[in-house]
Amino acid sequence: MASSESKVPLIINGKRTDGRDMEDLRNLRIEVGVIPEADGSAFIEWGGNKIVCGVYGPRECIPRHGASPYHALIKCRYMMSPFASLEEHSRSGPSRRSTELSKVIREAFENLILADKFPNTQIDVYIDVLQADGGTRTASVAVAAVALANAGIPMKDMVSAVAVGKAGGMLALDLNKIEDNFGQSDMPLAMSHRDRKLLLVQMDGLLTRDEVMRILDMAERGCDKVHEVQAEALKRFYEKGEGETVKW
Amino acid sequence: MERRIILPGEKIAEGRLGAPNTYYDGAVTYAAVIGMVDDEGRYIPLENRYRPVVGDVVVGMVTDVRHAGYEVELNLPHGGFIPTRDIRLTLQLGDFVICRVKTVNEVGDVDLGEVRRLPKGKIIEFPSAKVPRLIGKKSSMIGMLKDYTGGDIMVGNNGYVWMSEKSDMPLLLKAIAMIERKAHKSGLTDEIANFLKSQVGDKPRTPTGGETGEGVESVGEEGETGAEPGYKNEQSESGSSGENYGQQ
Repeated sequence: MASSESKVPLIINGKRTDGRDMEDLRNLRIEVGVIPEADGSAFIEWGGNKIVCGVYGPRECIPRHGASPYHALIKCRYMMSPFASLEEHSRSGPSRRSTELSKVIREAFENLILADKFPNTQIDVYIDVLQADGGTRTASVAVAAVALANAGIPMKDMVSAVAVGKAGGMLALDLNKIEDNFGQSDMPLAMSHRDRKLLLVQMDGLLTRDEVMRILDMAERGCDKVHEVQAEALKRFYEKGEGETVKW
Repeated sequence: MERRIILPGEKIAEGRLGAPNTYYDGAVTYAAVIGMVDDEGRYIPLENRYRPVVGDVVVGMVTDVRHAGYEVELNLPHGGFIPTRDIRLTLQLGDFVICRVKTVNEVGDVDLGEVRRLPKGKIIEFPSAKVPRLIGKKSSMIGMLKDYTGGDIMVGNNGYVWMSEKSDMPLLLKAIAMIERKAHKSGLTDEIANFLKSQVGDKPRTPTGGETGEGVESVGEEGETGAEPGYKNEQSESGSSGENYGQQ
């Protein structure tokens, strides 16, 4: 990923490739309840990312022998559409990358969902990336949290996520695809809102100990901004009182 | 009345509240699902998954007829069960029933009793968090809907709503969709009353068979099950799914 340095200038006059400052987020918009048939759903548009998430359950566990009598299983399926980005030309379906992302996203939510209230069931979280532009795993966590809240699945806390990395030799919040591909390092983080627990930390490339500490600070501020958008989207949906339909 | 929307993980009260859909960490009670807090500090969930409690009145459909009893679909991950030895009426696949939750075991399996078969009609799904609102204070809302649509309606705590085939279904469905959309607003009963008046005219249409219409009591095997109480949706506010939801 971190290819030969500074062939591509990532920072010009203190501004990034898309004109942002180092601590600016890309444009972020969340819509709640986009799939009426799902128990909960949300759509996120974050820079060039477009991701839709549907939550179903708790429902009967399939296969049945996989069910746990102690808690609900959380099943997460992250999938990138074949047309989502230039690199993803292949058929959609499980790949090394999507399996990994499904796992890390699932593990973030296993820490939050009060799964012991629903024994012998499963909760399905389907995440479909329609368009990708760097940082889809953090955007997926952000949108899945909103969809789970919309589904009424009990959670200890809300979670937001943002990636911080090093591009053009400087720390930058919310890397886009160019900065991710040609920068030095990328560190996606997910943080629970109230008790500030890190629920997802991954890293690409190299960082010094000091840089990691600064990244954690920046990520905390970034996550707060993401949380504001999540909260605003949910409040807008429920105050408006529309978008929901009786099923028959 | 001032109402504030709160997200999962937001603080509701110091100490243990013990209400459903909350989460207690040893010192503070937090919301576990998205909800509202009114100016008296009361927490009202906006979304939840139905969790059966002994004594709940539930509406369902028979999905399996076995030697030992009947399987009933209840809007739960696993169906409820009516043991044949406990009832004297014979049910058929596809019958609509109203019953009381007799036992719930550790893994959420439900046994049902006090079974009544419902006459021909239709069942729709309604969010269980909003059921108290559909019933209204002292059944005011449900009574009004019955008066204006001319048929009987039965609401289960599980969110299934049975409506008689004799009622004006298009109007009823519209009214119920409206209640679902505006369940968190105050003055809902008046608004629905105005809506029904605008559709039907000032005069409630009384069902042909007098005030109560073809109630559940008049079902086929009434002689055999006569000892059991008729369900009149009086459980309203004490329902398990959402306390005090109907207060305005």
